[in-house]
Amino acid sequence: MTRFAKLFFWFLVLVLLLWQLPWAVNYLLVQSRNTPFTLYSEVLDDFVMIRHTSDKEVEYRDRAGNEYTRRAFDSLLPLFYARQLTADGRFPDSVAGRPVTLREAQIASFIFRSAPKDLNRPAPGLHFLLESMSGRVDLAMPSDAFRLTDRGIEFIDMATNRIDTAKSGRFTRMLLRKGCRFPVRELSGNPSARKEYDEGYLLLDADGGLFHLKMMQGRPYVRAVDVPGELRLRHLFLTEFRSRRTLAFLTDESHRLHVLTMPGYGIRRVEGVTFDPERESMTIVGTLFNWTVCVDGASAERYYAVSADDFSLLDTLSYPLSERRIPGLSFTSSSDRYVKPRFR
Amino acid sequence: MWKALLYKEWIKTRWYLLLALSVTLGFAGYALLKLHRAVALTGAGHIWEVMVTRNAVFIDQMQYVPLLAGLALAAVQYLPEVHRKCLKLTLHLPVPALATLGVMLAFGVAVLAVLFGLGIVLLAAGARPLLAPELVGNILHAALPWYLAGVAGYLLGAWTILEPTWKRRILCLLMSVLLLRLFFLAPVSRAYGGFLAVLALLSLCAASLSWLSVVRFMAGRQD
Repeated sequence: MTRFAKLFFWFLVLVLLLWQLPWAVNYLLVQSRNTPFTLYSEVLDDFVMIRHTSDKEVEYRDRAGNEYTRRAFDSLLPLFYARQLTADGRFPDSVAGRPVTLREAQIASFIFRSAPKDLNRPAPGLHFLLESMSGRVDLAMPSDAFRLTDRGIEFIDMATNRIDTAKSGRFTRMLLRKGCRFPVRELSGNPSARKEYDEGYLLLDADGGLFHLKMMQGRPYVRAVDVPGELRLRHLFLTEFRSRRTLAFLTDESHRLHVLTMPGYGIRRVEGVTFDPERESMTIVGTLFNWTVCVDGASAERYYAVSADDFSLLDTLSYPLSERRIPGLSFTSSSDRYVKPRFR
Repeated sequence: MWKALLYKEWIKTRWYLLLALSVTLGFAGYALLKLHRAVALTGAGHIWEVMVTRNAVFIDQMQYVPLLAGLALAAVQYLPEVHRKCLKLTLHLPVPALATLGVMLAFGVAVLAVLFGLGIVLLAAGARPLLAPELVGNILHAALPWYLAGVAGYLLGAWTILEPTWKRRILCLLMSVLLLRLFFLAPVSRAYGGFLAVLALLSLCAASLSWLSVVRFMAGRQD
């Protein structure tokens, strides 16, 4: 017993040293990243960036190194700064030769974010399906929640904490009739009443089939989406942007990014963009003309400029990351919500 | 002899155990009362929504109660042994010292298991009429690492108190604080997954550390 106790004691000492020493050194020495905020300018047809300098000043530049005043910089991104330009009375009639109104610019604008910790986390197990066509302007949270089982979908009335067998049967039958095979592998939705409209959920079934599920006037709406034969979808992100041009972003097994467009449920590849949602963060700043896609990878922050019309690649930019960290043991991570030992 | 040893531990801890039972179950009951009241005031829908979308578990106020219960049990059980010099007599009983220590630690772990088991049963039984099994599971998975911290805290507390020298005792204290931190890292419920079983095993292995302190005591190490 004495030998075991001594071994265990030194094991604990080793674990604590591997955990705490690198953490303390990294905490004291590692500085935060200072990669500039970058967007693609439809005026210059090039990337422009805002950087905070070491003396806490703000620099407005383009890729060629030309500096701008803040006011001039607003004009380089007329669709992103549309409200500011309108307030200044400087919003242009046309951008890059194309007539544009403030309303058009605002409806087409969106910001989309995805972080690995949103995916790498314990599944909640319960979800909320809102009424998409209530006839009221404002959305409302439902009075029931649902779970997905190996055999179907189960709605539970929250007030009584009992399964609503009639509704569960209705929705399960509709999903089965449309070809959905349980258990569902992944689902994506934005269960909140604080949005303009509701598109329910996108489901990836046991065979990798893609389905759109929502509730319209209490009845199930299920649409099987045609997925090209060679495409193996991995992750889904329902968007619900104001423009309603996209229903979701999708990634496949090769980490390529796709867009599910509306109307018509067409799947279009976003040219050149690769993104592993389980390891990388992604931000898309979308305007009427283009999207600036920022993928925060392990070795570089990659920027892609993509045409908003046909999702073709316009330009790319990369900021190499040279973060020097002392490797050590840790139990939590910024890229997931689990507690487990990992050496990195 | 074993019965006598167990009776000795019972005599030392019985009033504390009554207090610990009241406090741990009291905190669990209070958390449930708040949950029931919240459901009555805002409706079950709102509570379910908050639990699903914001990872709320409604038992945060009892987070450190099991740890404090475990540490206090270690203090109640072992401080008299050390301060009244009873440990020397205990170790001179006609049974092996390792077995004597084993019985004392097993008594502590067993009563904590009963105490915390009752807390878990109370939480599950109190929440189930209002919440779906998934949400009750979230509450219990949030509470499990805290209860385990109570057991680990007890065993690490025993190690520290039984240690005969202050220099080493400070090292024990420092290591114990860092090790106990491991039980309070979860950002959401169910975050520990399979690692909780590993932590449980390591916690039980921590019982062996007390033997190191006893060996040093028997070797005559003291300030």
